[in-house]
Amino acid sequence: MTMSDAEKGGFLAKVIGPKRRWREYQARVRRLPPNQRTAVEAIERYLMHFVPTDGDSSASMFEDLADLFEQAAADGTPIRGIVGDDPVEFAEAFVKNYSDGGYAPARERKRLIADIARSAGEDTAEDDKTL
Amino acid sequence: MGKQLTEMLKGTLEGIVLATLSDRAAYGYEITAWLREQGFSDIAEGTIYALLVRIEQRGLVDVEKVPSEKGPPRKVYSLNVQGQAYLEEFWKTWSFLSERLDQLRKGGR
Repeated sequence: MTMSDAEKGGFLAKVIGPKRRWREYQARVRRLPPNQRTAVEAIERYLMHFVPTDGDSSASMFEDLADLFEQAAADGTPIRGIVGDDPVEFAEAFVKNYSDGGYAPARERKRLIADIARSAGEDTAEDDKTL
Repeated sequence: MGKQLTEMLKGTLEGIVLATLSDRAAYGYEITAWLREQGFSDIAEGTIYALLVRIEQRGLVDVEKVPSEKGPPRKVYSLNVQGQAYLEEFWKTWSFLSERLDQLRKGGR
């Protein structure tokens, strides 16, 4: 049995697509000046702890991070001028645009919301389906 | 910038950025530089960038990639109709909040 072209396309887009985008992002990071590169890699390591909404938004997140640092490098913005005094705050404001949550996955957050609603005697039939 | 100002700014920065974009289109660094000139000296470019990504995802701004002399193309942001409506809403909320706080300071209830 062979896969239809559409299925193959969908499958390839899912597996090869993000992978290629990831490799392209890594190549962009390697071309940055050493300080910027070190900063991006540190932020990247931190961002890895968050659960992305999907592969596409995860790829966009790293591409946007590369955009920011490439532009800042061209403008001659120092590292602190980019990330500010509190890198954690920057990283969390940044990741919020692409992620549903941190160490506690979105699923767990939904569960907490649903459990509290149930304990408060509210009807949670709808919420349960999305768990 | 004081800790208190940073905290208060968090809730209003979105409106501030939309307001700067209502005059003219701008790219991230221009907005950051302008805010710094206005006295928000500790604002990081990354903070503004993250905020611009968010308002883009919510459809409040239009984005155009414009080639730059040096470095990669710049993303230039402009306020669209939805953003304009959101900004009006922001000013209404701001008026309400500042009126209430003024009342409170004067000791009225």
